[in-house]
Amino acid sequence: MSIKMRGVRATVDRLDRPSAYFNNSRHKRRRFDKDQRDGDDDAGMHPEQREDDDPLKNATTLYVGNLSFFTTEEQVYELFSKCGEIKRLVMGLDRFNKTPCGFCFVEYYTHQDALDCMKYIGGTKLDERIIRTDLDPGFEEGRQYGRGKSGGQVRDEYREDYDEGRGGLGRAIARERDGRDFVDDGRLR
Amino acid sequence: MADYDRRGGGGGRGGGGGGYNNKKRRYRDDNDDDHHYRGNNSRRRYDAPPHVRIRKQLIAIAENPMIERHDEISQIANLFTDNWEDDVLLRGNFVDLVLQLCVEQPLKTPFLAGVLMVANTNRPEVVDMLLEKAARLIEEKLREGEWRDVKLYLKLVGSLQGVIEGEGVFGVLGELFERAVGLQTASSEDTIGTEIVKIILLTLPYVMAAGSPEQQQQWQQKAADLLENTAIIASEPHPLQAVIEPYHPEPGEENPTQSQSLISLLQAQLQIEATQGWALSCLPRPWQFPVSEVEIASKLASAKKHVLPAINIPKTVVTGPRPLFPEVHISVYGQQEVESVPPPTSLASSLIRDALLDTINVLHFNRNATARQLIEVDCYFAPRTFALRGTPFDRLRDIEKPKSTWKPEDVAVDAVFTQLFLLPNPEHKLVYYHSVLTEACKLAPAAIAPSLGRAIRYLYRNAPRMDLELSYRFMDWFSHHLSNFGFTWKWTEWVDDVELSGLHPRKAFIVGAIDKEIRLSFAQRIKNTLPEPYQGLIGPEKEKDVPDFKFANDDTPFAAEGREITALLKRKAPDEEIDAVIQRIQSQAIDRDLDALVASTDVFVTCVLYVGSKSLSHVLAAIERTKDRLSDAGAASDAARTQIIEAVMAYWSVHPGVALSIVEKLLNYSILTPLTVINWALNDRAGKTRGEALALAHIYELVFNTVIKVTGRVRQLVIKSSQPDEMVDDETKDAEVKNMRELFRAIEDSLGAWAQGTKDEMLEQGGEDESQNGLVKRWGTRWLRVFKRRQAIEEAFLVEAVREKGRREEVRKEWEVVERQRAEEKAAKDEEEKKKKEEENGVENGEVKKQNGNGGDDADIVE
Repeated sequence: MSIKMRGVRATVDRLDRPSAYFNNSRHKRRRFDKDQRDGDDDAGMHPEQREDDDPLKNATTLYVGNLSFFTTEEQVYELFSKCGEIKRLVMGLDRFNKTPCGFCFVEYYTHQDALDCMKYIGGTKLDERIIRTDLDPGFEEGRQYGRGKSGGQVRDEYREDYDEGRGGLGRAIARERDGRDFVDDGRLR
Repeated sequence: MADYDRRGGGGGRGGGGGGYNNKKRRYRDDNDDDHHYRGNNSRRRYDAPPHVRIRKQLIAIAENPMIERHDEISQIANLFTDNWEDDVLLRGNFVDLVLQLCVEQPLKTPFLAGVLMVANTNRPEVVDMLLEKAARLIEEKLREGEWRDVKLYLKLVGSLQGVIEGEGVFGVLGELFERAVGLQTASSEDTIGTEIVKIILLTLPYVMAAGSPEQQQQWQQKAADLLENTAIIASEPHPLQAVIEPYHPEPGEENPTQSQSLISLLQAQLQIEATQGWALSCLPRPWQFPVSEVEIASKLASAKKHVLPAINIPKTVVTGPRPLFPEVHISVYGQQEVESVPPPTSLASSLIRDALLDTINVLHFNRNATARQLIEVDCYFAPRTFALRGTPFDRLRDIEKPKSTWKPEDVAVDAVFTQLFLLPNPEHKLVYYHSVLTEACKLAPAAIAPSLGRAIRYLYRNAPRMDLELSYRFMDWFSHHLSNFGFTWKWTEWVDDVELSGLHPRKAFIVGAIDKEIRLSFAQRIKNTLPEPYQGLIGPEKEKDVPDFKFANDDTPFAAEGREITALLKRKAPDEEIDAVIQRIQSQAIDRDLDALVASTDVFVTCVLYVGSKSLSHVLAAIERTKDRLSDAGAASDAARTQIIEAVMAYWSVHPGVALSIVEKLLNYSILTPLTVINWALNDRAGKTRGEALALAHIYELVFNTVIKVTGRVRQLVIKSSQPDEMVDDETKDAEVKNMRELFRAIEDSLGAWAQGTKDEMLEQGGEDESQNGLVKRWGTRWLRVFKRRQAIEEAFLVEAVREKGRREEVRKEWEVVERQRAEEKAAKDEEEKKKKEEENGVENGEVKKQNGNGGDDADIVE
């Protein structure tokens, strides 16, 4: 008789699960066949899990969001190395300016390191901002660029709050207001 | 009531109704087979079905301080037993959930036991079901060496001792003790036996707290016998204890009590408790009802007692997935005028800490839940064990005896620190414990932050005598923690220490912590958080994003060539063009009587670094493009290879974090070897600075990371080779082990010389540097201890890996026998029952036959 508890729901939620975003966009992807995220936050509410063909089963990559545009690779390295050696780091860039636009992909050598990062680093601060992490099936060329109209992340288009670390107002809103395009003026150090 | 579709769902096994699905329910509402809703106009608000309510309430048990505990447990127990008949699946689910909770949220175990005891008054079967499953789980965990789970299940079963017949848990503890004795007699270095004794001693209090005064009376002799037995093992200091000692007094300093081993403390505490009639005042007893509730109290007293199913304890036991080490008691709140945590003489200190540590380490998958349980620690122990939550430390002295002055926040924070400072390693990555403290601080800043502040001050004061590995962990945590809270700290307190020599451990801490802060942020930001006297520690060069390029200055030898190579690298020129410039450097170097290869390597590496100075991606790409040339240079001579790291560390000297990342990648490419790194750090760099480099945190980090890289690789190979389906070539493994040993030898040679003051650079110095020499020796000693420990641990790992493999095999074989026996026994029993049934049936059949014989008419009808 085996009384293994595997597969049983924990009495406390786990932080190393993919977010609803991933499951949601996977859903969409199946329908549209191509839908690559740049890390937008609009999470859906219907997570679905499939054990057998789960592309995150051995994921070693994390999407990291809500970074300041001024946060450097070195800072990301410094924090994320606390969960294991980093194999590769790809900064998210504005499609037009090629400047950081507030997200990145961190790839570890092992799945366990990626899970630990979800548990211990996701939701903590880097450069004084709460960052979010999400398991990711792996970086592919092209995904480093923002998919927003103005080149950055979609979430920065219509954002109504003023976020100094992410270029102030949402870009579309800012454009409407002062009739000029957003200019990234580099890190204010 | 029972027609909710959870049976087919995924949650049938774990807890009541895990597969509960909103969507589905809504869908089913439209079907007429749902009787719960009386039409769409039901005025009754939907009430969750019992299995959902029971699950919810069990999981949240004891969390709400506004409910009386005995009310809560009887409410849950009654909800459960009231639905016993309607819902057969609920029974199994309930038992499974209780067993899951006691290993996932161990602070709640006594309350779960309370629910079971009340349920036992109505449905005694549930206790039988639970004991049977628990017994099987304990057996399984014993075979796997999952010692914590063994302990946690025993804690639950122990808490039920009051409803168990005969000697109950004492029998199991006694047999466990026999195993421990066997192990300890076989080897004085044994750690499994020590672990088993620890489990026995930590279970005993829960057993003693479980009974009525009369029962306790009966058990006292058993407890005394057990304690008498464990005394020898518990008091014997383990040979490895010296290696994991967290504090080392400086020479001439008075030693403020050597750390005591956890197990010897526990033994002493229990003996005190025994003399005081097992008051066990910190343990909750939710099953004790107030005098007013006579009925339930008498039902509890007369409830059915159960037989504890036999638990097979294997003759051979394994270490299990986590290496076992002796543990020592540490506290960051030890020496205070008012007692804000239980003193080490009190059993409460061990019991509360043990439960907290299990909680912390089990709940690694949700640090928010961990932090919450830590903050609410007072909910899970007897009322009045602690002072009121959030009582400021200064107010504790106003509390009148016998009221408790134990601050729940201090107790919680102290527990996390013991893990952060656990040698050789805590169970999880250090950053987990950082994150727990961060969350606790976020949840209850006003209560937790001051406790952390006092801990930081204690640790800072003691930094000089702390093990170097631990003081590095302290620095790493400190800077990371501040980065989560706006980098605010009362730096003014330590202003006087800024004047100290860089060799003073406290100054070294300040310098190292500030560097780490800058690495997580940037220089200007950190500068703004520091008072004036610290400003000098952050030079203007720190604020430059890109370091100066030395070949931009014409006075630097080979300046022209350096600029030329830079230009070639930038336009990705073919190798031949670069070769030409390198040839020129080398011939000039020979003219100047320099090592040609060293000179050209320095220029080339520096140019690669400069070209890649924009970011780590840039430099990694630049290295990737030039890795063949770098490898060739490194392979050509030791001096050239050393020059590669020298150039990296020099170019990024202001931002050592970047340098360390680059060195890590160069090690991956095998452009550098671990030995190069160690020699550069401990001989070249430390030599040139007359030992001062030993006080630099990033030099320690460089060496430590390199060693971990090497030992990690060896471990991986060893683990792989112990798995049957993995093919690991023994030669590769042996070669890696040999390299590791060579590395440790080189480290020991070098550090030994620094520690004894026999390093050439120290001998050269004049008499006036006596105090400086003393400080350097001290650093050498601290370093040496860290790496000797690492070596001892790795060697132990190699030995243990082989032994453990053998032990696992033994356990497997033994279990096969047990299983076969059990199967036979069961078969025999089934056979017997079958026979019995047959006999009964036979009688019936006979009667039928007789009847048939007697009255043929009936038979006709039947046919």
